[in-house]
Amino acid sequence: MEQFVYYLKVSFKGIKRAPLPYALTIFILSVGLGVFFANATFYYQLNSDPLPHKSDKLFFPMALMAPYECNDCKPPRVLSYSNVEKLSQTDIPSKAAAMYSADGYLRQTAEQAPLPVSIRVTQRDFFSMFEVPVLHGSIWPDNSARREVILTKASAEKLFGRTDVVGETLLLDERDVTVSAVLDNWQMLPRLYDANNRNHLSEADDIYLPLETGYDMNYLSNSQSQTFDDTDYRQLSTQGRSGALHQLQYWVQLDTAQQQQAYQQFMANLVQDEKAAGRHPSAPNNQLIAMRNIVNYFGGESSDIKAFALVTLLFLLVCLFNASHLSLNRYLSNQYEFSLRRALGANRAQLQLQMLADVVLMAVFTIAGALLTGYIGIKIMNQLLPGNRLFSSWDLPLLLSLLAIAFVCSYLVTLYPSLRASFGSLNQQLKE
Amino acid sequence: MITLTNLSKIFRTELIETHALREVNLQVNEGEFAALTGPSGSGKSTLLNILGTLENFDSGDYLLDGKSVKGLSDAALSKLRNEKIGFIFQSFNLIKDFSIYDNIELPLRYRGLNASARKQRIEQALELVGLHARRDYLPGQLSGGQQQRVAIARAIAGQPRILLADEPTGNLDSLMARQVMELLEQINQQGCTILMVTHDPDQARRAGRNIQIIDGQLHDSTLYEPLAAHSA
Repeated sequence: MEQFVYYLKVSFKGIKRAPLPYALTIFILSVGLGVFFANATFYYQLNSDPLPHKSDKLFFPMALMAPYECNDCKPPRVLSYSNVEKLSQTDIPSKAAAMYSADGYLRQTAEQAPLPVSIRVTQRDFFSMFEVPVLHGSIWPDNSARREVILTKASAEKLFGRTDVVGETLLLDERDVTVSAVLDNWQMLPRLYDANNRNHLSEADDIYLPLETGYDMNYLSNSQSQTFDDTDYRQLSTQGRSGALHQLQYWVQLDTAQQQQAYQQFMANLVQDEKAAGRHPSAPNNQLIAMRNIVNYFGGESSDIKAFALVTLLFLLVCLFNASHLSLNRYLSNQYEFSLRRALGANRAQLQLQMLADVVLMAVFTIAGALLTGYIGIKIMNQLLPGNRLFSSWDLPLLLSLLAIAFVCSYLVTLYPSLRASFGSLNQQLKE
Repeated sequence: MITLTNLSKIFRTELIETHALREVNLQVNEGEFAALTGPSGSGKSTLLNILGTLENFDSGDYLLDGKSVKGLSDAALSKLRNEKIGFIFQSFNLIKDFSIYDNIELPLRYRGLNASARKQRIEQALELVGLHARRDYLPGQLSGGQQQRVAIARAIAGQPRILLADEPTGNLDSLMARQVMELLEQINQQGCTILMVTHDPDQARRAGRNIQIIDGQLHDSTLYEPLAAHSA
């Protein structure tokens, strides 16, 4: 250790000898890495798995049940109420929840200004399937209609100035509802349960309403999509659930491979029954997509971020090349000292330890510069691509990966120059 | 101690081959103080560099303490240089932004000595060259003669068996050159073998033996009277 501290001191002296080329090397490397960091942050967060222990157990079932000949059709990304009913008529899934999103206005009393809110109209299993933490109260005991809403912590604070508001009444679009629970801080990012509408990059909804109550209150889905069902957008759901145009998402939890196989068979039988009943003349095309593959399946990956990733990677390579070139010049100008050390008995392994000390110092400066550049880069990208704003945070695994990359880059920039400087004719170099 | 057998060295470029050393045979015994003399370009420095393993040779053999250095790995050669050989260069070759102490410490660091052992050896060496009071100076703050004494201190701090000096007084005035020579003689008297390249016949005479090289060939190996008798 004492020897390594000595190597660090020698590295410092080397920097003091030629501070400008060193600063330039650090600057180039910091800019390259900073730009890469900024993009890597978005790429990492956008492609992260919010429920890694569960994302292969939650499935989005899609069954093609079109009432006309449609052999090239893919199953629609959304389901009608009647389709959800059909897909729910089994106890194979451990849990299941249908949902859609809607908009509304909420206020405490008629005298107050209404607060626009996004509503997730869903069923009770939603909260346990996606591990939503509850701060106060309890989730609805079943899926029946009830005038009860669940608020997020932020919504409760906004409306009441506090969070313990279970039992309080509110006006949701001028209709009385009671608060049955308040959620704790929760932000599932990306919101993979909403990937079919490409809303997975946006913030979670403000309040949660039981599915049946949503229908009873005639809330329409605020997302656009296609359906093969015979629906009428003018028909209110209170006039009959099956005819109303609601674009439902449906998620099932299948914990084992046997459950998954059984549910696939159940879907196949369902479509076969539809076919037998003459309601589905086309070939079967069922899909059971795991949550971890859902964005890929729906083609929801951000092409902007992908393009940026490629560009920033190329930019980093160019910066590495330039920094390495500068570093080579610096080492060659110090070659005399390398040779003197070799003449006095340093072997190449000891010279490489000296190089490692150089790398450690360079990595420290580079990491500081790169984090600063990365931070600025993220701010700029938030301005350019505000839709990705939620994905600009650094967590510990990301930071550690970034630090490791910075260290490897510093090593690469130093490796070749130091190897070059530690080879060659000693006698010749000592004369120069 | 040093045995060279038919040792040859050729410098090659795309156009020409220069025979720097031709079939050199030489025996240097422990404790000798030998001067390597000869005209410029005769191969003296090349021979010294080969003896210091700073340069390879093309044919023949070089035995140091009865062991051939031929084919030794880089690590083995580094160890050999570090433990058995001390170098004194004409241009001192001190690191400018290292203190005198740090410059002398350099070879001891690579030997893996602990801090107290290093300190003891450095202080002994500084005492011998008379620069103990200037241990924290930078080389640029010393005269040429003092810098060469620092280089000598660095060379002897590792207590080498052989000291190789390439024109150690070449950049010094006559007074300083004499001081350096006296120092080398003192070191030799303590048992260290010294081989010194020089152009100065007086200095060559002060060494116990003169090895003359002309056109890469050993021409004469003159043994002088013992130094003490000569001085008297």
